[in-house]
Amino acid sequence: MKDYTYMMSRQLKWLFYLVAVFVLGYGFTDYQPFFAGMILGAGISTFNLWLLQVKINRIGQGVVDRDEKKRTLGMLTRFATAALAAVIALQYPGIFDMIAVIIGLMTPYLVIIIDYFFHHTELTTRKRGE
Amino acid sequence: MNMLAAAIAVGLGALGAGIGNGLIVNGTVNGIARQPELRGTLQTTMFIGVALVEALPIIAVVIAFMAM
Repeated sequence: MKDYTYMMSRQLKWLFYLVAVFVLGYGFTDYQPFFAGMILGAGISTFNLWLLQVKINRIGQGVVDRDEKKRTLGMLTRFATAALAAVIALQYPGIFDMIAVIIGLMTPYLVIIIDYFFHHTELTTRKRGE
Repeated sequence: MNMLAAAIAVGLGALGAGIGNGLIVNGTVNGIARQPELRGTLQTTMFIGVALVEALPIIAVVIAFMAM
């Protein structure tokens, strides 16, 4: 169980680092619309990632506790937040770059894949249930 | 016509993601119910699967709003 909680905090930590780098880019470079879009996309997708992690943890806890309560993965919420990012970027095209918003929305997947490649040996080389 | 295109893009994307998520959650819940001590590993696998499955529909939503 520790694997999952460690993975949650690790991924959120790296995403916050990335958002911090984008904020620095917004403040110190001339590409302000690009970095504003990256901040918007990465911020919203950080929320999406946190929501997914929490929901999956709740489902796992519910299965272990034999809880009959119906739970969802929150897919509609994540679609709605992505739509919100797209609407904001389309509404203010001078402030947010649309391509940067899409790249920002896809940032967590990069973090997830890199994190998995760095840590998957920990998961696969141990004995079962360890 | 643009609205129809947006609706089809989001609808088909969500349909595929729904089926994929359903299969992933089904397998994970079965696994955790059989062996609760493997919960962490199974949840990690489920998390990666669900996240990657949902990447495409999220792009579909954004593209639908751009097409509208």
